[in-house]
Amino acid sequence: MVVDDAAFMRLRASKVLQDNGHEVLQAENGADAVRQYAKHHPDAVLLDITMPEMDGLEALKEIRKLDPTARVAMVTAMGQQAIVMEALRAGAKDFILKPFQPDRVLSALQKLLAA
Amino acid sequence: MRAEIINPFLQAASEVLESELGSPPQRGAIGLQRSAYTSDEVTAVVAVTGEVAGMVLFAMTESTARAMVSKMMGQDFPELDALAQSGIAEIGNVITGRASCLLSEAGFSSDLAPPMLIVGRGSMISTLDVQRLVIPMETEFGQIEIQVALKLTSAASARRAA
Repeated sequence: MVVDDAAFMRLRASKVLQDNGHEVLQAENGADAVRQYAKHHPDAVLLDITMPEMDGLEALKEIRKLDPTARVAMVTAMGQQAIVMEALRAGAKDFILKPFQPDRVLSALQKLLAA
Repeated sequence: MRAEIINPFLQAASEVLESELGSPPQRGAIGLQRSAYTSDEVTAVVAVTGEVAGMVLFAMTESTARAMVSKMMGQDFPELDALAQSGIAEIGNVITGRASCLLSEAGFSSDLAPPMLIVGRGSMISTLDVQRLVIPMETEFGQIEIQVALKLTSAASARRAA
């Protein structure tokens, strides 16, 4: 599942994954991500941090409440180290820096699926 | 405008544009303007709040905008549709976000508002008494003119002077 409030970034990451044979769900904000996670239990989540309604850190905590084994990587602007560290403590497995390259998205997914 | 504010934008724009477009941009001559800005065909606007406050504009032609998002998405955008507009807004957002992080490292905290887009040439935008630093960035897809209209809050200025 790809979670980002910016449509372009969401579709761009989704396209990279779909072009490499993955089935992708999309969510527009943290609250939408939690709802969709509860319904579909995706294998992995790429979760933007800065979003309206519910930010990525809160969504991470809610998703981990639903599923303590949830495999989540945070997508973050450069320099949000403090939030990334908190996300890692809250159970995120990896993080991807924006602007991201397709190879980085794929390697993060592989790392999540291997976890 | 202080070098501590200018340099983060120069660094952020170069880094992000090179990463997103696959080749390093060439920076043109930097200037300062106080007169009202007349918009180009596509202008992304990112408002900044905090110890450094104001707005940052990213202006370009529509063909440059479409070419950039086509490169980033790996598909052709024959029109500047909603998705392409989102992509241009995100370029502005990521550059300003990176600059905000660098400003933070320099001791100035700031936060960003969600980006907005002005589509259509000729709108007049006045930053009133705030001078705009104009940074032309030449990419292989055309020029992006970055206009930085930011000032230190009085509290931040006082703290720096102390």
